[in-house]
Amino acid sequence: MNTAEFLLMVVKWWGAIGALVALVFLTVGMDRIDEDADGAYVFRPLLIPGILLIWPLVLWRWYCLAFETDHWAHRYKPRRHNHRIFAYVMPIAIVLVIAAGLSVRQQWPAHIAPEQLSAPEASQ
Amino acid sequence: MSVKYIPVQWNRSKWVYDALMLIAVTLFLYVFLFVSPEVLSHEAPINPQVHNARAFGACAFLMLTVILCIGPLARIDRRFLPLLYNRRHFGVMTAFVAITHAGYILNWYFAFSNSDKYEALLFANTSYGQLAGFPFEAFGIFALICLLILAATSHDFWMKFLTPPVWKRIHASIYLAYVAVVAHVSLGILQDQQNHVFTVIFIGGALTVAGLHAYAAWQEDRRGDELGADQDGWIDICDASEIEEGLAKIKILPNGERVAVFRHEGKLNAISNACAHQNGPLGEGRIIDCLVTCPWHGFQYDVRNGRSPAPFTEKIPTYNLRIENGHVQVHRDANPPGTPVEPVEVPA
Repeated sequence: MNTAEFLLMVVKWWGAIGALVALVFLTVGMDRIDEDADGAYVFRPLLIPGILLIWPLVLWRWYCLAFETDHWAHRYKPRRHNHRIFAYVMPIAIVLVIAAGLSVRQQWPAHIAPEQLSAPEASQ
Repeated sequence: MSVKYIPVQWNRSKWVYDALMLIAVTLFLYVFLFVSPEVLSHEAPINPQVHNARAFGACAFLMLTVILCIGPLARIDRRFLPLLYNRRHFGVMTAFVAITHAGYILNWYFAFSNSDKYEALLFANTSYGQLAGFPFEAFGIFALICLLILAATSHDFWMKFLTPPVWKRIHASIYLAYVAVVAHVSLGILQDQQNHVFTVIFIGGALTVAGLHAYAAWQEDRRGDELGADQDGWIDICDASEIEEGLAKIKILPNGERVAVFRHEGKLNAISNACAHQNGPLGEGRIIDCLVTCPWHGFQYDVRNGRSPAPFTEKIPTYNLRIENGHVQVHRDANPPGTPVEPVEVPA
């Protein structure tokens, strides 16, 4: 098995486990942890892609809510400082990446006509 | 808002926003594909598959660029706040456009070998040790995964389920995705670009995003909310007369949280500055019909108890408040969300 095959196998297993989590969570688990979901069924299929992608996080949050390990104050801590880091680091990264791209870009003089390096007969 | 989840919370403003967005995307694709081939260097014969891939790729880049400009613009100038209102729909549509781009690429460049096309995408170029000829597809795959996660977790359920801080951390990956898209383009199509119109549009767009974010952050550093002075557990906010009717004064508490002290009908109340919905800055909103209204998405709370009006169920923490020698002081410990606090009269 090469690396590409291995990565695709990981993706398939990730999706399969996610599908299982989605099935149980959307049919049994959700009603017990969120009163707003009680009797609301039409929106649930919309959640399937999200569960497939981040099912470990879903399991963790499901556990926190089911066993009430959350502290209410944690819901009200805006991550403004995180944003500040991104706001300064992202511009630097953008400039560096563009500069890197331009530095390896090959420029060919437009006035030079294409030249055949060897005759077709010679290469056969 | 809460009550019962529905698939999409439409209202007139969102219909208009989405309709305009759809028209703009259609117009962009039409212009790219049919009107301006010579401007964008498409006069060379390329097949429709490649042409479509480029059109959707350029559209996704432009949409992402606009999305990332909205946040800093709204912080720099409040007149841009309406654009923030329905940004999530914008993001979901961008993810669909990006998937279409990826689909055209996969079904052309990787579809005609004996290998599975997804495997071919991963092993076709593995020159990770060099900059020239770097497998730029990897950056595109990473950005696409980020966009898919953001789109798939955009429903309000996710915000409540994951909590706004966790949700916002996940959605901060949009910045990584954008840098990855810039790398994807810089090491990809930019290497082969003969016509400089595209180069100028691409670099101009990316630098606009970079510049706006840096400027907005620098401005917030200069003029942002201040840390309140602690006096035996009570935090000094300001002189009572400094708070205008219907508006708030925001201060940072020693634990890093923000409190908003509102004045309503000559009385003061203190609530958390973070909206329960997306942690929007409530203190930058105003009181409408006795309710504090979040400037981001219009969620409302009674300033006296931090509760949304029935039938909605959102709650935010409140703070005890007192006036000492004409100075407003807030206790540093928040009350549990929805706790009523008696308003304090502003001295005449």
